[in-house]
This record gives sequence, C-alpha cells and structure tokens, in this order.
Amino acid sequence: MAGIGPLLAPAAILLLLLAVLASLRRGVLTLDELNTDTAAAMTLILVATGETIVILRGGIDLSVGGMLSLATAIAATRGAAGPFEMAGWAALILAVGGGVGMLNGALISTLELQPFLVTLATWSIVGGTALIVLPSEGGAVPGWWVDAGAGTLFGLSLAVWSLAALLLWWAWFRRTRVALSIRAAGSNERSAFLSGVALGRSNVAAYGLSGLFAALGGLFLTSQTGSGSPTVGNDFVLPAVAAVVIGGTVLSGGRGGLVGSALGAFILTIIGNVVFVLHISSYWQPVVAGLILVLSVLATSLSDLAMARRDAAL
Amino acid sequence: MSGKFRVWRSTLLAYAGALLIFALTSLYSPGFAAPSHLRSLIVVSAFTGIVAIGQTLVIIGGGIDLSVPWVLNSSAILVTLIADGANGPLLWAVPAIVAGGALVGAINGAGIAWAGIPPIIMTLSTNTILQGLLLVATGGSPPAMTPHVLQVMATGRAGPLPVIMLIWLALAAAVTLLLGRTVLGRYLYALGTARMVAEFSGVPVRRVILSAYAISGATAAFAGVLLTGYSGQAYLGMGDPFLFTSIAAVAIGGASILGGNGTYLGTIAGALVLTILTGLLAIFRLSNGALLVIYGVVILFTVSLATPAVQSAVARLARRRAG
Amino acid sequence: MALLQATGITKRFGGIVALNGVAFAAEAGEVHAVLGENGAGKSTFIQILSGAIAADDGTLSLRDRPFRPANPREAERAGIAPVFQELSLVPDLSVAENIWFRRERRTWLRTIDRRDLLRRTARLLGELGLTRIAPDRVVRHLSVAERQMVEIAKALAADPDILILDEATSALPPQEVDWLLAIARRRADAGKLVLYISHRLAEVRRVADRVTVLRNGETVGTRSTSSLSDDEIVTMMLGRRLDRLYPERSTTRTERIALQVVGLTVGHRLQGVDLSLHEGEILGVAGLQGHGQRELFLALFGAARSRGRISVWGRDVAIRDPHHALSSGIGMALLPEDRRLQGLLLSKSVRENLILAILPRISRHGLLDLKREGTLVAEAVRRLQVKVSSPEQLAGTLSGGNQQKVVLAKLLATQAKILLFYDPTRGVDVGTKAEIFVLMRDLAAQGYAILFYSTDLPELTHLADRVAVLSYGRVAAVLEGDAIDEEAILHATLGERQAAA
Repeated sequence: MAGIGPLLAPAAILLLLLAVLASLRRGVLTLDELNTDTAAAMTLILVATGETIVILRGGIDLSVGGMLSLATAIAATRGAAGPFEMAGWAALILAVGGGVGMLNGALISTLELQPFLVTLATWSIVGGTALIVLPSEGGAVPGWWVDAGAGTLFGLSLAVWSLAALLLWWAWFRRTRVALSIRAAGSNERSAFLSGVALGRSNVAAYGLSGLFAALGGLFLTSQTGSGSPTVGNDFVLPAVAAVVIGGTVLSGGRGGLVGSALGAFILTIIGNVVFVLHISSYWQPVVAGLILVLSVLATSLSDLAMARRDAAL
Repeated sequence: MSGKFRVWRSTLLAYAGALLIFALTSLYSPGFAAPSHLRSLIVVSAFTGIVAIGQTLVIIGGGIDLSVPWVLNSSAILVTLIADGANGPLLWAVPAIVAGGALVGAINGAGIAWAGIPPIIMTLSTNTILQGLLLVATGGSPPAMTPHVLQVMATGRAGPLPVIMLIWLALAAAVTLLLGRTVLGRYLYALGTARMVAEFSGVPVRRVILSAYAISGATAAFAGVLLTGYSGQAYLGMGDPFLFTSIAAVAIGGASILGGNGTYLGTIAGALVLTILTGLLAIFRLSNGALLVIYGVVILFTVSLATPAVQSAVARLARRRAG
Repeated sequence: MALLQATGITKRFGGIVALNGVAFAAEAGEVHAVLGENGAGKSTFIQILSGAIAADDGTLSLRDRPFRPANPREAERAGIAPVFQELSLVPDLSVAENIWFRRERRTWLRTIDRRDLLRRTARLLGELGLTRIAPDRVVRHLSVAERQMVEIAKALAADPDILILDEATSALPPQEVDWLLAIARRRADAGKLVLYISHRLAEVRRVADRVTVLRNGETVGTRSTSSLSDDEIVTMMLGRRLDRLYPERSTTRTERIALQVVGLTVGHRLQGVDLSLHEGEILGVAGLQGHGQRELFLALFGAARSRGRISVWGRDVAIRDPHHALSSGIGMALLPEDRRLQGLLLSKSVRENLILAILPRISRHGLLDLKREGTLVAEAVRRLQVKVSSPEQLAGTLSGGNQQKVVLAKLLATQAKILLFYDPTRGVDVGTKAEIFVLMRDLAAQGYAILFYSTDLPELTHLADRVAVLSYGRVAAVLEGDAIDEEAILHATLGERQAAA
C-alpha cells in the first residue's frame, strides 16, 4: 500500500490528455463522454485487472489473449439462448477462465516453469481452442445483452457501473490475506516462504483470477460488439501489460494496484481520441502510446530512487 | 554431471524431438520426406531461424526482444520503397537497412542497459513506435514490387541447395562461433546467468547488452529483406508471426527463458520443429486452431523436460530401473 | 522431559554432508546456546527446526512427541519462532503487516483490520522499547539494524515457546545487543526456551545457561556455560588448540601510496571519508554493519556513485564501473560481500568462473585460446589449493571456503594490485580462514595493497597494520601498531555517536 505517490504520474498524464481533448472539442467533460470512453476502455481494464494481480505476484500472464478470444467465441455461438441459459453459459465461461488460469499457476509452481513461457504456450492453446470453437469472426450474442451494453441506468452506462463495481471489489480484495500473500510473494519469494506463505497456492490464486478477469473481459466485449472473434484477444495482451506498467506497477512484483492500471488503460484508449482531435493521422497513435510507455517506466524508477534516497536513517 | 554435458543434452533432445516428429509424419505421409519437400521445409525454417539468431543472443543474455516484428516489417517496406523494383540500389540499400535495424536494436539496448527499462517494456515500445512510424510513412498501403535479385536470393538455388539455406548456414556458423568461442559469447552467458556477478567480474555489461540487441535488430532487418524476396512483396503485418516463432524456437531448442544457457544449434532444431508442425496442418487436415493448440502443447512439453523437477524425477526413475 | 529433542539428524547438500547425526536436547526455562565455527552446521540445524528445510534422517521431538515440520508455517504453529540471519521480512510490506503476517485480525468482510493492526503494532513496539520505528513504514526503507529489530519483534509477537536467535546481533549496535540479551533472559525466566546461535563468546557467556557445541556437522557436547572456560569452548569448536590461526606479524609496507581517498561521499551512508592505503600494507576497516563500509567498498570499485577524490598510484581517477576498476590502468579488484550473489556463477563450472575476469587476455582477435585457458585454470587451482574433483565441477557444489577461494583466484588472475576484501572470511571454515590469512600476508609482502573489512575484531587486531574505524559514515579513528586492540576499536565505534548527540 504505497499510497498515492506512484499514481501521480499516470493521473497527470491522463489529465493532460483530457485537457488537450477538452480544449479542442466540445462535450468532453460530459456524462456522455464518460460513458463512451469507459465503454471503450472497459475490456482492457478488465484484462489489465488480472494482469495487475499476476504482475504483483512477480509473474506475467500472456494467455489472457487467448482467453479473451475464447470467451467471446463461446458466447457468440450461443446466440439464441434465453437469459437463464446465457447465465449458465456465462458461468461456464468464467469457470473455464478461472480453471485455465489455475492450471497456469499450478504448472508454474509445481514444475518450476517460467511464467513467460508457460503463459505463452497456454496463449497458443487457448487461442487455438477459440479458433476451433469459432473459426471466423461472427456468431451472435443475444440481443438483450447488446442492448444492455449500449443502454444506461440512471444516466450511466453498463461500463461505468461495471467499473464502479470493479473498483469496489478491488477496495475489498486488496485487504484480504490472499492479496497480501500475493504481494508478499511478489516482493520477495524467499521471505514470503519463511513467513509462511504457501507459494504454490498464491500462484494458483493469482493466475486463476487473471484467467477469470480475461473471461469477464470477453463477456463485456461481446456486449459492445454483439459478436465473437477468435483472434480479438491477441491485441489486448501487450496493451494490458503496458497499462499495468504505465499505472505504476513494477514488473518485479510486490508494488502497485488496480487504480493505476485502470488509469493506464484509460490513457491508452484516449490517445486515439486525442490524435483524432489534433487532426493528425491515426497512425500516430501507436507512436504516442510507445513513448508514453517508456516515459512511464522512467518516471516510476525515478520516483523509486527519490523514495530510496529518503531512507537516510542509520 | 558437468556443465558442458548439460549444455549439449538439451540441444540433442531438441534434435531428437524434431527427428521423431519428422519420422512419424513421414510414416503417415511418405511425400513428407521427399527431397523437394525437405528443401521447402528448410527454406521456410530459415526465416524463423535467421530472426531467431538475435532472439537467441538476447535471451541467453537474460533479456527478450519484442521489437522483432516491426523491425522486420520496416526493413521489408523500406527495401521495396528504396529499390522501387530495380536491382541497383540494393547494393547500398540492404547494408544501410541492416545497419538501421542494428541502430534500432542499439536504442533498445541503450534503454535497457543505461536507463534500466525492463526489456519487455523497452522492446515493446520500440515495436509499437516503429509500427506507427511505418504506418504514417506508407499511409497504410505499402509499396508492391520486390527487386528481382531479392527474389532470386530467397527462392533461387545454387546447385541442389537453396540459396537461402546457404545464407542460413553461413550465419549459423558465425553465431555458433560467436557463442562458443568468443569473448562476447562468454560475456553473454555470464550476463544471463547472474548480472551482478558478471558486473563485479569486470564484464562490460552495458556494452554486451547493447551488442546483443543491436545484432538482434540487424538479423531481424536482414530477415525482412529476404522475406520480401520470398513473398514477392512487402505487406503490413508480415513480421507479426515471427515474434511467437522466434521465441518458441529458442525455448524448444532448450535455452532457459531466463538466460545463461542454450545454443543456436538448439534454436535451429526449434525452428525445424515449428515448421514440421506447420506441415502437419496440410497432412492431417488440421484447422489453424488445432495447430495453435499443438504448438502450445509442444512448447509446454519441451520446457517441462528441461526443468530440474522433471529431470530429478526422470533420474530417479532411471535409477530404479537400473538398480 | 526435554522440551525439544533431536537424535541422529542428518542432512546432505549434493556431495556435502552438512549434518552428520546431530544429537540435541533443550529444556523449557533456559537460554541454550549453540556454538560452532562457520560450516559446523548451526544454520542448517536451525533451518530444519524451523521447517525451512527437511532433514534427510533422524528424529525430532517436541514435548516427547514426534515433530516433523514440512514448512515454516507448521513450525510456527508448533510454537517455534526463528529470527534468521537472512531476514524474513517482506520488503514491500509495512512493519505492521510484516509483524502480524498471517496472524492479523480480520473484519467480518474477511479483510484485514488495519486500525487494529497498527494499534497492536504500536503497542508491541512500545513494550519492546522500539517506539522510534513507525508501524506503517515500508520495510524497504528501514536501516539494517531497524530491520533486525522488527524481525525480532515479529518473532516475539507470536509469544513462541521456542525463540531461536540465529546470529541476531550481527547488525545491532551494543545498546541494542544489551536490549536483546535482556529479552532473552526474561523469556527464559518466564519458562520459555531461547536458542541462541552465535560465535561471539562474550555474548554467550552473558546470557546462556548451557552450551551445545557443533563441529563438522556433529555434536561435540553439551555443558553448562559456567563450567567451561573460553579456551575449552574454543577447543571444542575447533577440535584443536587455537595456535597458529594468524600468521606472524611483519611490516611490508612501503612509502608508496597505492590508493588515496579524500572526501569520499556516497548518498547518506558515507559522509566524507579520507583514507590512504600504502603498497605492501594491510589496512583494516572496522565498524558496525550499516555504517558506510559497504558504500565505501562499492564506490572504490566503481559499483556505486560517489563524490570526492580518488587517486590510484598517484594519479587522480574517476572510476566508472567495475570493468574500469579492474582494467590495467587502475588495477583494483573487489572480493564481494556475498559470494553467492555477487562473486560466483553458481550454475557454471569452476573453470568458467575463474577466467571470467580475464577473458580478453586469453583471446586473440576475439577468439578464445582454449589452451591458455586450461593452463591458467590449472595454475589458479593449484596456487590457492582449491579442492575440486575437476575444473568442470559446478561452483555451486563447492563448500563455502572453496567457493571463496575460487573468487579470490578469479581476482588474482586479473593482476590487480589493489585488493578490496569485504568480510573475506564470512561463512568460511577455520582451515580455509587460516589459508586466507597467510595468503593476505604473502600478497602484502609481494607489494599488493589490501583494504579489508571485517566484523571479526580478533581478525582485525591480528592482521591489520592499521585500522580505520568507521562510525556513522565517517572515519572516527585510525589506529596503528600497538594501539590496535578490540577495546580501542569498540570505543572508537561508539565515540562519534556520543559526540554527535
């Protein structure tokens, strides 16, 4: 719980982007804009949530790409189902997400394999499964689900409500023992072990949650697009890691949180709007994103140095 | 067991695996082992193999290079843009572009070694930035015609052997020599094993990191040039598959993703395995999805074999059988 | 009935036998010391008791019932709380979170009750007299001594039946040592058991009722502290009388100055240090951990940024990095603090480790000359008498003493004439220690200049020609010749602090 410090940089960047946007376009600081932008960023936020937890554990999860695709694929092939059936299918999708994630965690712990490689392999396996379920983009999700995705409740979109729920959940989760164990293991595995943390279980929990949130992201995405895609997830993996890093979470683990990752996801999403409004080619979007990514890491390590310098006590 | 033997064991395992899959597939479909097919197998593997040269060096040194896709793509696009179908300009364009790739790699290396930016982030950033810059430069539609010379290089033959195979062989020999017998090679292994130890032993750590990424950028650029020859044109996204295949080739070849061990000969076996597996697509009439699943399973299998946990279990089994 | 009993405890690490049938018995209501030289097996035994590793053979019993902790959690539940040398504090968690880790009070929502956590921590720290440590401070930002004290508080928070203190005073200033010994005594008087592992006889005498001595992984004997003299204890520890541990004193120092340091400053820890090291001299550095020694050595080696002037053989230099320090222009080599993390590639062979620092020298046009490599390796192994079955043996499988020799050989191969030795005999067995001391004197006689830091006062008094005492980042005193004795060094360590206060 490092406090506000690490969030200053991403918050500042986001405010800057919003300011640029607001100065060149009307209606930026409206409810409508909030609804739209949150909807655009929400899928990434969900994937980044799981990624945050795994990175806090000191690992990385590349398989979220495959899981996102698979979730949309399964959902889109059950288009005709009624609400109860869909609920069942949704539960199944989430179970698959969590299950694959837990398998990742188990493989990493029991076989002592590197997270990068294991999740690279499961990314391929799960992504391949998505292609088998839904060979090409298409399918259809129930109309009422898409309506929910586009509709509002008390003026706020599904996305905004989801984000609020997510933040509430995080406020609770980060205070649980599981979360503390995950952070401890990510901070220093040896110390965590000596202090009694079951390292294997913390891995299973972290990666399980990551898979779950990737699946959740897929479900949300279908509410926005109305269909499924067996490859859509691939474009979310590295941006999710980027969002986490921009948000101030360090790749080595132990430090960081969801608020930063959500800010990071918003930043990455809004860059496109800013580029558009500045009337420059949309192709500049990735350039800006890449630059922000590098600068964020530098900012984080500089603030680390500053904090380290404060511990003068002998 | 001494260290030297251990190094060779994982490489040998990789080749054994490649041979096994190849043999099984040939049994099922005899045409698989025909010389013409073998040739195309090697040619296709060559591209992954050449890109994986840099990836091998970088991974042995303890890093990773995610900028390979767009360095490759940039060089492919640039070479067709500059040459505009003619052969002449290639003489200076190709070396210049390869040097450009090395420069991008050097920027990666500098960010990682001097600014302390994690390799994943640094190389991801350069990849993204390059992508954007290339899109801006080409306006989203890349030029078409590839010069004839390049096409000959990529698809032609010198006697019975494909030209590209000879190129790959020459590069492979150079890399193997570099890793096995040069100071830079030893420095890389030390760096990937324990950076602090390397630093305290006088290894010029930052220079080594810079070199590894620079070479990676150069080989990716070179592969891009060759690839335009092979496919006859440069198109957007042609570099994307190589991220997965270059990393997978290194992993299947037995190198630890954390660094400190592995050989390029192993990576070659890894590239071959990946290409053979792709061949299964046509033979067993597998869908794309099934192929991806197989890739994943093979990677999991091979890296599990190398882990100490599995190895001690295997050793125990062996002892029980013997004793 | 013995509270804790062990018989026939055996543990092997690869080819090395760390414990060979250790027998042990301790009772409630005593402070029981476990003594032994480095490599005797004390730490291994403690790790087995606390569940960090499992014994290969033997039985442990707690209150006459068999006891086999599979992990630290189980040992904790059985009432055993260890305070390790390697700290078990999680760097990114706060003091409060660390102390009550996995023992926090939880709210009805199953979340950790933060206010309760901070309150209990403040109370505990108050009871222990540690009020200057704020409960919500992140451990990463604490000093070494503060971390050690939080580690101790953490163990005490569980009110364990068996408190294990494993070299717990190494990072503590004398006042805090008194504080810890008083705590140990109080607990024993209250009927608990305290195991006190140390190699500092003075402390053991003050606090321990009984002493068990380990040597080479075996139990030599258990006696009451008062029944043994220091000499008898040392004899039990070493297996022979302590005669010639240290070589003859001799003066090999010349007038030529090898290394001169003026106003060296590193961050907050080193605040303007002046030193001069002569050719042929062994200059000792003394001081408690965390008072700037680490920064001094790292700065000299180019591994830490510093301000101030450094001159080598009369020439001013700005040392950019270790590569630069080792280069022939400067010729300064560091024997690092932690050989496992900073000195050796554990998964590589002895050969690969030995030549790591001189690769350019055994190559031509970038290609390695394998024959020269072989010759140099054989010579290095012979010169320092490294006990290996072959140069291909993995460095990680060597004993502590042999590992240190490999690191030394690597440095000496660079022909660097200025040697920086940071705690060279830490974790090294007595036999190798003696060899290292002789080597140091020989090197000095050959004209090498040696700066060496040690936490072992007898070492400094017997080996060093002069001793510079660091205290709170400054040189508090430089002692020479007959003025060098343990009293004087301790006094100088404390003196600066009184002046500042």
